[in-house]
Amino acid sequence: MPEGILCNKNKVTTLEHLQALLADKSGKQYYQEMNNLDVDAKALWDLVQKTCKSRIRTWLEICTHCGLCADSCFYYLANHKDPQQVPSYKIQSTLGQIIRRKGQVDNAFMQMAMDTAFCKCTCCTRCGVYCPLGIDTGVMFSYLRGLLFSQGFTPWEMKIGTGMHRVYRAQMDVTTEDWVDTCSWMAEENADDWPGLEIPVDKENADILYTVNAREPKHYPEDIAQAAILFHVAGENWTVPSEGWEETSLAMFAGDWEACKLQVESVYAAMDRLKPKRMVVTECGHAYRATVIEGPYWAGLKTGKTPIESLHYVEWVAEALRAGKLKIDPAKKIKEPVTYQDSCNYIRNGGLWEAARYIMSQIAEDFREMTPSREHNFCCGGGGGLNGIGRYREQRNVGLRVKRDQILATGAKLVVAPCHNCWDAIRDLEEVYEIGIRWSFLKPLLINMIEVPEHLKPAE
Amino acid sequence: MFKKLLFATTASPVCDNAAKVAFDLEMKWEAKLLILHVLGLPGRGFNLQFTDVRTGEREDPSQDYVEWVKEELNNTYGKLLEDSNASIVTAVGEPHREVLRLARKENVDMILMGAHSREEEVGATKHRSIAGSTMRKVAKAARCAVVIVNRPCTTCWKLFSNIVVGIDFSKASESAFLWAYKLAHEVGAKLHIFHAIDITAGGLTLPAGQTTIEQRIKEARKRIEQHMVPRLKGYDKYSIEVWEGIPYVEILKFARDRQGDLIVMAHHTREVEPEEAELGSTVEQVVLRSSCPVASVNHPDKVADLM
Repeated sequence: MPEGILCNKNKVTTLEHLQALLADKSGKQYYQEMNNLDVDAKALWDLVQKTCKSRIRTWLEICTHCGLCADSCFYYLANHKDPQQVPSYKIQSTLGQIIRRKGQVDNAFMQMAMDTAFCKCTCCTRCGVYCPLGIDTGVMFSYLRGLLFSQGFTPWEMKIGTGMHRVYRAQMDVTTEDWVDTCSWMAEENADDWPGLEIPVDKENADILYTVNAREPKHYPEDIAQAAILFHVAGENWTVPSEGWEETSLAMFAGDWEACKLQVESVYAAMDRLKPKRMVVTECGHAYRATVIEGPYWAGLKTGKTPIESLHYVEWVAEALRAGKLKIDPAKKIKEPVTYQDSCNYIRNGGLWEAARYIMSQIAEDFREMTPSREHNFCCGGGGGLNGIGRYREQRNVGLRVKRDQILATGAKLVVAPCHNCWDAIRDLEEVYEIGIRWSFLKPLLINMIEVPEHLKPAE
Repeated sequence: MFKKLLFATTASPVCDNAAKVAFDLEMKWEAKLLILHVLGLPGRGFNLQFTDVRTGEREDPSQDYVEWVKEELNNTYGKLLEDSNASIVTAVGEPHREVLRLARKENVDMILMGAHSREEEVGATKHRSIAGSTMRKVAKAARCAVVIVNRPCTTCWKLFSNIVVGIDFSKASESAFLWAYKLAHEVGAKLHIFHAIDITAGGLTLPAGQTTIEQRIKEARKRIEQHMVPRLKGYDKYSIEVWEGIPYVEILKFARDRQGDLIVMAHHTREVEPEEAELGSTVEQVVLRSSCPVASVNHPDKVADLM
């Protein structure tokens, strides 16, 4: 059966393999090879039988095709109510077909299913909230991505991303040395402005173990410095692990279940090794979902919970504000109208909307909710890995219109987006539609408005 | 004094004057020169693609592409590269971050840049929704001197006769002062120690009266004589001058008056909030208007031997 050199059913386990994929400009050769990739129908059906349990089978069975999910899908709305964008249709025509045909599907079908799973669904799970039978199509699409991945049908960037996790235990090529060095670099760079600032690596028995998104050490190390400054001002006893610091999981987006497990196990191993009391995750939505919500199941933890209590960054900020560890200078609150982007992963799926509301009540004088908001909010438009996939750029940009109109309706020019994915999508939205907005994580905003105790200020 | 130099370039004409200085310093000080070109801003999310700084096109950082860019750089600096052993390095990321990353990794003694104005950096500024230029961010955080060359600098550094150092008695400006002295001493130039009394006092209050100003000038001069002159360890080619006015205007006037070959100063980190700094900090103002190169020194790392 024809397997491509780059596009095949093999997992990326070596640096050489990863480099070969990276050298293929925009995945040109990769996608050409995909056209000739055979489907191993038997292996596919075996996998379905082994992994497709009663929950998904029931959902597919009981769907009455009532269409109540249609208006809940931002793709359906952004694409002029195209019937092919109705969630139940999308999943029935892909995963539903694989099961009905007992895995007897061809290359064209698999490519159609891949395109559907990645650019017609961001796994935001909003439709699940509106289905009268509680059918969660987003969860089913995540599962479908796993089936597609097993047969080699995954977007080029996903194959690379999941390969990064396998090779580096991070979504980007950041080694342990790079990471540790970046921490000392940031402590050094901010030492003058923040005397006594430290980024402790591998400190045992700390109160907080802080974990990040690899993009921070790779491109935005000031994010790590900002986290350090806020912990420093709040007087926290905290640390970062030298290994197991990467919280994200492109493997989850790709459906590479084996790599999902490898990645979260590296974080849980850091918890075991350093014995911290709690873990705090940076401002990233899918990282929270991967490591805190789904991770325990991937790692086979019977409790369904992370080995130690784990908080999203907004939970820590809300707690620090409530406890008075961080105090906001009332004169420095945000005066202009400001809105908040509720991330699907830690708001809808993680239920943390109250923490976010408390923070906004403390830092903003004119906070304006989007409509709808909280667990009903729409996906930013770039979820599920879509932001990074070149093949679907156009469809992604169409989807962004829903978020654009939501933001415009608030009248706010500043969007607080404590999630890397949302932050990216909103930045792209501004680039494509030029509506004159700014966007920010919480950390830089907080640093500009907290009261700094005298003893933490530089002497000069 | 300069064993390793880093020339950060966009390979556009704005960097041409800095390039000439960089290659000249490499030759005269027998230094190792690194030429850094930041290919573009990071891609979307985890995507490895980036936006090319020159063409605005989306590109992959493939080997072919990097080779092609290096070839372009070779063409841009063709003549200058003939007598040079410089190495060309490329990176993807936010320009200030990558300049600082390489400078730290290689422990360079000096960073040279062209004066990138904000207009040219719309992409970079918007990218992270932070106001302020690459230049300002590099100048603030670099551990070594950051030299910005905006206009042609025809004098060889070894032939410098007048070095102007602007001081404000801050810790950072102590480093700038010592660095200026070190260079003046090495090339035998005269060191002009300059302080400006800021009569605008943040622009909020009325200018101080003449008596107060004169009193403050006297005090500043005394402070320089008592605390700074002894650090020159007997080097007698120096002058002290204290003027009043708006600091960036005064230092430019003074440098022009003394035919300064180089202005050295510290970057004032806390003087203006980046968001409000529409006109930029003093150092930015000086850089954009100065007819000679401007060195920003903020940290003691490269003058540790004199501390």
